[in-house]
Amino acid sequence: MSKAAVALKRVAVGRPRSSAELENTLLPKFIALPVFSSDPLSSNAYATQEILLVLALVGSSALALVVPIAIAVAFLLVTVTVSYSQTLYAYPNGGGAYIVAHDNLGTYPGLVAAAALLVDYVLTVSVSVVGGVDAIISALPELTDSKIPLALGFVVLVALANLRGVRESGSFFAIPTYGFVLSVYALLATGFVKCLSACPQAASAGIEPETQSALTFFIILKAFSAGTTALTGVEAISNAVPAFKYPKSRNAATTLAMMAALSITMFLGISVLANRAHVVFTEGSAVSALAQIGEAVFGRGIMFFLLQAMTAGILILAANTAFAGFPVLSSILARDRFMPRQLMNRGDKLVFSNGIVILAFLAAVLVVAFDANLNSLIQLYLIGVFVSFTLSQAGMVVHWRKSKAPGWRTRQYINGFGAAVTGGVFVVVVQTKFAGGAWIVVVAIPIIVYLMYKVNRHYGEVGRELRRVDRKPRDRRPGNQHMTILVNDTDEVTVRAIGYARSIHTDDIEAVTLDGVDPEAWQAIAPNIPLKQIDTDGSHTAALRRYLRHKRKELTPEDFLTVVIPEALGSRSFLEIFKRPRLTRLKAALVAEPDVQVLDLPIVKSEVKPSFEQAAEPARNYAIVLVSGVHNATLQALEYAETLRPTDIRAITFGLDPEASERLGKQWLEWDIPHPLEIEDSPFRDIGESLVEYVRAFKADGVHRVVTIVIPEFLTTKWWHKALHNKTALIVKGRMLFEPGVVVVSVPYHLGHR
Amino acid sequence: MGTLQSLVDKLARSPEQARAENCRAWACTVAQATPIVEVTPRHQVKVAGIIRNIRIDPRSGSASIEATITDGTGELVARWLGRRPFTGMRLGRGLIVEGVAGLGDDGELVILNPEYRVAVGPEHP
Repeated sequence: MSKAAVALKRVAVGRPRSSAELENTLLPKFIALPVFSSDPLSSNAYATQEILLVLALVGSSALALVVPIAIAVAFLLVTVTVSYSQTLYAYPNGGGAYIVAHDNLGTYPGLVAAAALLVDYVLTVSVSVVGGVDAIISALPELTDSKIPLALGFVVLVALANLRGVRESGSFFAIPTYGFVLSVYALLATGFVKCLSACPQAASAGIEPETQSALTFFIILKAFSAGTTALTGVEAISNAVPAFKYPKSRNAATTLAMMAALSITMFLGISVLANRAHVVFTEGSAVSALAQIGEAVFGRGIMFFLLQAMTAGILILAANTAFAGFPVLSSILARDRFMPRQLMNRGDKLVFSNGIVILAFLAAVLVVAFDANLNSLIQLYLIGVFVSFTLSQAGMVVHWRKSKAPGWRTRQYINGFGAAVTGGVFVVVVQTKFAGGAWIVVVAIPIIVYLMYKVNRHYGEVGRELRRVDRKPRDRRPGNQHMTILVNDTDEVTVRAIGYARSIHTDDIEAVTLDGVDPEAWQAIAPNIPLKQIDTDGSHTAALRRYLRHKRKELTPEDFLTVVIPEALGSRSFLEIFKRPRLTRLKAALVAEPDVQVLDLPIVKSEVKPSFEQAAEPARNYAIVLVSGVHNATLQALEYAETLRPTDIRAITFGLDPEASERLGKQWLEWDIPHPLEIEDSPFRDIGESLVEYVRAFKADGVHRVVTIVIPEFLTTKWWHKALHNKTALIVKGRMLFEPGVVVVSVPYHLGHR
Repeated sequence: MGTLQSLVDKLARSPEQARAENCRAWACTVAQATPIVEVTPRHQVKVAGIIRNIRIDPRSGSASIEATITDGTGELVARWLGRRPFTGMRLGRGLIVEGVAGLGDDGELVILNPEYRVAVGPEHP
């Protein structure tokens, strides 16, 4: 990365944090409350309105039902809160629905819960941001046309805030959350005081909505399920127990209770006041129900605009709950090998950057696809919440029965009751929302479960194959190294490449060319290396591949065939790699070639001192093998390093996960691998940077000393498997391009082969 | 003015500095530990530091395990010769070693076969 880009990243996301600072990102309660409960609190901005919308289908006579329905929803919220606070104590390390269901009910219920949550996290972002934009538009109708760009802008804004790290976001989020709570309470207090004489009437009071349906039980259920949005976000707290200050479980439970108390009072208050102010809300209403009440109570004064601003603020920040939850869940799933392992990485800022970016992208897609329409988005919402509630609490019932902890019977009944109630609500939600769009979610969840199952099976197969003992480090027959240098010129870059090849004391070096290279000039620079001209007839890639396959056939399986590709770089710029499309195509084709190693030899042209008479032969070649585990791919890479006959071989690993690297160290001794292993710290979790620092200690110059970085790679048979592996190799190659005297070679290990 | 200055310093310090300070704060809590910068060769010392690097060399003849520790003032290598069980050695953990310090090949401080204790450090448990 260039300096400017680094500076830009620092300004946008702040200074990097070492893993040590993780402890310092723990949240006190008063900051945890806004971070984790902005979502359930904010749903008060539209929960009442969604109930009214359904009731309006019957006509104004049914609108009074909003109060009993709100009471039913409040009862549900109490049930879930009591039930979930037990989970907080039972799972102090974070007991999201996935963990609880996975631990107690088995893999598949766990995956269903995980898939449901993932879907809902995305929807939380879309729904909240769109709701926030609606609140802005209710106050400033002239912005109606720029609804979608506004919503997208807010998605990006919240994503950026989260890339900065959770606590900084925490204090930033406190103001709108507390502001919203206070302004709603002010609204309720003012409204009810005015009601003592005469209730203020909403602008829409007295409008008679067109009757589209009779008052059926189904309509009541539908209104009820529309009101249950107040229940999202409980999951976020249960997932986030480790982020709380000590005593974690108690603080988390207190936060959950505070959240529930605030949510219930606001929800009931708004619903009663909406009823008293005779708010009518229909599909065509431009002004949200809460804004209508605000306008009736406060008039279009400062308090009204403050209420709208705080509503917009909390809704946009509610998206943050999902941003806190989604990356945590995906990293847990990645750890359990149900998702690509890249999602496990904590980014520069100790948050899981990859997950954040993916979440923002998916939410933006939904916003655009549904035209930023809150009522249609809400149709998809909540399925996931109730699937995960039900599975999680059913899991807790099993947990108590197994644990027989003091009072387990009572606890079991509490969770059992919770599971039964949320399970019932789940059926209602599916029934009432299915046709309106919920079917998308019902279809998506099994698909996600299937994908996670496939990913897991793939990693499982790879793991088994890598651990199959068919190589014993100490008593195998070492193969020979065969080198083929690809040349297209006889310039100083080629000379340097020959020098490198000579420093490897192999018996078999040859050069091949696809272009016409003057044999006499070749004689002058490399008299004892044979040069072969390959007939191309059209495709260079095909011709080279044919040649290599032919040569490979003559070698034994233990032998290595390395293609050395000198790469002349005009300047120190990353644009260089786009300048030689032919070479890039060639390399891409060779990387996929079985049993051929590609050795990149990037050389900045201007840094080579012309010395045509004799190719300098580096006296010292240090081989560094990057390892991530003890398995066949690592052993093959070590064998490869041995055939280079270097001055020194060492394996290094970067301790991104100290526990895993301790395990690696133990296995290294168990497998009796005859090379030293270094476990290096990478405090800022930037492997590229740490490796650059490590390699520079060797003071390689390309003339006297070179460093060869050997990277074991997995070659997979299916295209989508590629996304699951080999990211490190890509990073390292990019970072080493301009390091003088450093060459990178990948040693592919073929999965599903041999 | 002084407060402002220290605030500016605090904001401008590099991540590495921030880390060294954390490390220093932890090492200070270990009783009778000498700061690494004050360690002199050929003297019995007790040193506490965070494990930054672990090197396992299983090759017969030169078999050893070493851990490089830092306490924010300097670095010291604890080296145990021979093949031995590899337990408790984890990056980021605190390591408290006692022994006679010496100088290694590259001038680094080394304690050979020290008495040691692994502790919960400020970084990873």
